[in-house]
Amino acid sequence: MAATKSQGRSFSLFMVGATATAVGIATFSSGTGKLALIVGLVILAASFGMFLKIKPEEGEVADKGQPAAMRVAGVLAAFLGWVIVLFGLNLSSNVSGRMITTLIGIAVSLVGAIVLLPAAANKNAIWKA
Amino acid sequence: MKIFRMASATCALAVLLLAGAGTVARADAAPSASAAELKDAASKAPTTSTLAAGDPGGTLTGTISDVPVSDSKAGLTLSDVGNQVGQNKIGINFTWTLICGFLVMFMQAGFAMVEAGLCRVKNANHTYMMNFFVYGCGLFAYWILGFAIQMGGAAGNGNLGGLQPLAGEHTLSLFGKTWGVFGQTGMFLSGHTYDVGVMVIFLFQMVFMDTALTIVTGACAERWKFLTFAVSSVLMGAITYPLFANWAWGGGWLAQLGTNMGLGKGYADFAGSGVVHAVGGLTALACALIVGPRIGKFNRDGSANAIIGHDISAVLIGCFILAFGWFGFNPGSTLGASAAGCLRIGSVAVNTMLAGCTGTFGALLYMWVMKGKPDASMSANGLLAGLVAITAPSGFVNPISSGIIGFIAGILVCLSVAFVENRLKVDDPVGAISVHGACGLWGVISVGLFADGTSNYGGAWNGVTGNVTGLFYGDASQLVAQLVGVSTLVGFVFGFSYALNWVLDIFLGQRTSAESEIGGLDLPEMGQLGYPEFVFTPEPSHLTVAAQAAVA
Repeated sequence: MAATKSQGRSFSLFMVGATATAVGIATFSSGTGKLALIVGLVILAASFGMFLKIKPEEGEVADKGQPAAMRVAGVLAAFLGWVIVLFGLNLSSNVSGRMITTLIGIAVSLVGAIVLLPAAANKNAIWKA
Repeated sequence: MKIFRMASATCALAVLLLAGAGTVARADAAPSASAAELKDAASKAPTTSTLAAGDPGGTLTGTISDVPVSDSKAGLTLSDVGNQVGQNKIGINFTWTLICGFLVMFMQAGFAMVEAGLCRVKNANHTYMMNFFVYGCGLFAYWILGFAIQMGGAAGNGNLGGLQPLAGEHTLSLFGKTWGVFGQTGMFLSGHTYDVGVMVIFLFQMVFMDTALTIVTGACAERWKFLTFAVSSVLMGAITYPLFANWAWGGGWLAQLGTNMGLGKGYADFAGSGVVHAVGGLTALACALIVGPRIGKFNRDGSANAIIGHDISAVLIGCFILAFGWFGFNPGSTLGASAAGCLRIGSVAVNTMLAGCTGTFGALLYMWVMKGKPDASMSANGLLAGLVAITAPSGFVNPISSGIIGFIAGILVCLSVAFVENRLKVDDPVGAISVHGACGLWGVISVGLFADGTSNYGGAWNGVTGNVTGLFYGDASQLVAQLVGVSTLVGFVFGFSYALNWVLDIFLGQRTSAESEIGGLDLPEMGQLGYPEFVFTPEPSHLTVAAQAAVA
């Protein structure tokens, strides 16, 4: 299966929800704004419910799933490296010290991005079958 | 007579400039001698009957009589002339920025041709449509929310009239300093942001954002579900891109690294190697990891198969369209042609050309020497790699550095494509991760190395007095600021994009069915073949396995 009317309807609903949510945020100080935000979020939630409902209609995909633990570890490593850089800037006030902590942080993020997450993606890769 | 008129007008304008703003303020109250001279010059301007005779030499058109008079009784005043001078400056900058924005918008056509050309004919319509619809998805998302997040606190740009309605940056106090986090004004371009200057910056920034979005479609081509692509693009245009762009360009915390932490002039990214290309390239990596490789891309032993694109002519023509559009991308990022430092636009444009040239040389020579052929698709990627890399430093470096930066990018893209494919086992049909991700990061770093300290955009950058200067010219702290930007891209942007698209995978599913993928996405996803009258040549057996075998 591929593109269908249900997909079109769910995407339309998503766009309406996103627009209403944005209207709500833009006019949040007014009562109408708060109402628009709530309505928008409800429509967005409904669109995601619809997405989930029609997802099985796609049929079998060439994807055997990726281990969630490895994926979480990869994403966390990427974020952790960034946090190390942010706090590292305050650990030292000289350029060399900040350079070192920044490079360490980048290395940690890269472990997440190009070691853990690719390993997760290739764990059950279709080409291994 | 003509000479006398010209001399009178010139003298009057010179007096005006010397008189200064204080004189302008007093001019209405009591006409000064210079005001009298203005009136005299106005009286000697060409009359309508003179102009009716035609002006083939162009010496009579555009004189002091063309300056609008605010009070016909008082006649022409210094205030009128001063206002016209100000309007001319802003008018020049508006025109420059808009035209450059139009050029960048046209890059969408280039991206569409490059990406579709590098894909198989059975997916041509689907790939073109992703590139087509990403424009609408991105624009709409940016209009309702993204622009406010990115530029909602970016007031103060004198080139475009100040942009004073955009004065709503949300800040956070941390480590004793105040940091910009996201903008808050400009949603739907309503209220006070219904402003001529805001409209110009919206258009210019919007087409940049859309460039970042269209990068992702290349890396996920030939197996990305159209519905998921659309939702993912809306979210990227509304949240991911604007957030980083605010930090770098909208007065956010990366730009404040100079004022708050003493790191050079803060994160400096002239036209977006990081903001546009690395954001797009790293999001492409995140999505490609989630979507997975195309059926038949890798063999059981992990070796990769080359899946050749269907139209190399589209790829190369698309590259030239992109190179043309880049003259809007980089020189346009001065946001003006008439203000302090804006005359550097010539230097920025030449730097852009040179880096594209040496990038092509780098990739072409690498492939020729190492693989035996001057590969067309990698040469095309080399051109783009050079252009991507020079995007951040184009306003800060000299032509020799531009050539070096582009050449390194040309080689880097070849190495990166091989690394992504053979080591990471990530399938990127067009090389978007390498061209935009790897070379985008290289561009960001190169500012911290090669910025020569000669650029002067009003005497300061990101609120720090002085010019952006890299490590090779004496300021190591600028390199640290750039590396903090790299860390934010690899750590935050990549991580956030991955998490966001993982959620979409759970709810929508990122990938099309194996049956659709093998048959080609044009019919099942778009309902029409890209080339309905073509007779397809049978593909190799590893690309035409049955759907059941593909998912087994």
